[in-house]
Amino acid sequence: MIDNGLLVQMILGALLGLSVYLPMAAGQLSLATPAFYAVGGTLAALVSTQGGAQSPISLWSVLGEMLLAAGLTAGLALLVGLPVLRLRGIYLAIATIALVEIVRVAILNLPFTGGAAGIFGIPQPFQQPFGYVLFSGALLAVCGWLFQRLEASRLGRSMAAIRDDELASRCMGIHTTRVKLTAFVASAVLAGVTGVIAAHYLNTWNARQGSFDVAITTLAFVILGGSRSWLGPVIGGLLLTALPELLRPVGDLRLVLFGLVILLGPVFFPQGLITPPLLERLGRWKQ
Amino acid sequence: MSHTSSPLPLLELRQISRQFGGLQALSEVSFQVEEGEIFGLIGPNGAGKTTLFNLLSGVTPASSGTIHWKGKPMQGLSPDRRNRLGLARTFQNLRLFSGLSVLENVLVALHRQPQGNTLDALLNTPHFQRLQSELCERALQLLEELGLADQAHRQAAGLAYGDRRRLEIARALATGPSLLLLDEPAAGMNPREKELLCELLAQLRQRHQLTLVVIEHHVPLLMQLCQRLAVLDFGRLIALGTPEQIQGDPRVIEAYLGSS
Repeated sequence: MIDNGLLVQMILGALLGLSVYLPMAAGQLSLATPAFYAVGGTLAALVSTQGGAQSPISLWSVLGEMLLAAGLTAGLALLVGLPVLRLRGIYLAIATIALVEIVRVAILNLPFTGGAAGIFGIPQPFQQPFGYVLFSGALLAVCGWLFQRLEASRLGRSMAAIRDDELASRCMGIHTTRVKLTAFVASAVLAGVTGVIAAHYLNTWNARQGSFDVAITTLAFVILGGSRSWLGPVIGGLLLTALPELLRPVGDLRLVLFGLVILLGPVFFPQGLITPPLLERLGRWKQ
Repeated sequence: MSHTSSPLPLLELRQISRQFGGLQALSEVSFQVEEGEIFGLIGPNGAGKTTLFNLLSGVTPASSGTIHWKGKPMQGLSPDRRNRLGLARTFQNLRLFSGLSVLENVLVALHRQPQGNTLDALLNTPHFQRLQSELCERALQLLEELGLADQAHRQAAGLAYGDRRRLEIARALATGPSLLLLDEPAAGMNPREKELLCELLAQLRQRHQLTLVVIEHHVPLLMQLCQRLAVLDFGRLIALGTPEQIQGDPRVIEAYLGSS
């Protein structure tokens, strides 16, 4: 039922979930992930089609594009983050939605991004979807390891403290602006890098890839999966990306069912599927 | 920089005022806190004590007046900058990181201790592991001092009320302050606990070379603990002096008991 193509999309979903989770782990409700995802994807589409559509491309150039996307999104996130992160709660969410819209409209109207149709014939570094599974899976594994380590580091602890009580964190000498900005930039870089992989995998890229809808879907990954551990958004991203495809046999009902899951998820799992008590029980069970 | 015993006070407030809309929470309060003393701050409810702490810690700006730290104005410095200068506080209405463990609450605040950079942490280098164990040791030592070591791995939210108050002190101490502002540290404690806290604060001051400013409603405790006291009433400083001087001051008696 789950073929390699769907698996790639699920992994990309998990990566985007992690991108939304990062600022949230520092108490910031940012919906900017699709903006940086779109920037990364557009960059990859533009760079790799320079030599004409469907020109052969090596894995190394894809890695180069990812590096480039990381730099560009980091710079953009720094620039946007400094003023925007002064906002709190729902106001930050609204400002980041505005950013998503600005990026979408810009990509739609820039003379070199292909307008509404977008950019076609983005070259493929892999002949089979399985190549993408390995590649994005490796990235997800590296991310999982980094997130696990982050929790043990000073930065991770500071983020958790800010999420619990920002004012108290400041009074304990935590450089809250720097910590929040770091989380925001890391989130942007992850989204940008994911965009590069997505652009190659999808073969085509347009402004709709980074729309407000994506902001809501990726937020649902974190809310359904759980926002207290990095495993939550990963599970949420994998499941919610797979669900519409798995529901395909029920025909038109599938979107209704998908909506129901998103609606009822928080009712039955208010803290998401992955909660700290659950992780604790799993840890004990392993021993 | 000379390290001779400077005549400068550790903390100096000059004509500090703060309005909230039409409410004059503090008006032209001036006093100094000398290095090493235990300074008490008393006054009826709504006298402006906590507002004063918020101004000192940089949480709210003063409407007018200046605060000097070792002779330098602190105007415009953020709470985290002030904390790194050596000014730490606790909160009257307890603001622990309730989702974190007791130990983590203290670890977060140990920012003066080398912790290794993020890259070290991500790669889990031996250097980082050594720093982490030193860090935990230091945190446990602080928890030990406040009698919380056996609860290190509990979640902060699950602690008993008095323990949470002591954890606030441990967390503030972890930031390595020279001045500690304690906002009602004995609130909700029974007389026995209050007495123990009193002894503990005196010990901590010795061991950590602290200057303490303490807000407390329980006046006998302060009389016993402090070298000097300031009395606030409706935002004004109505008395300043030793416990003996304060006890006999007619304005203080009037503020607490009302005029006849």
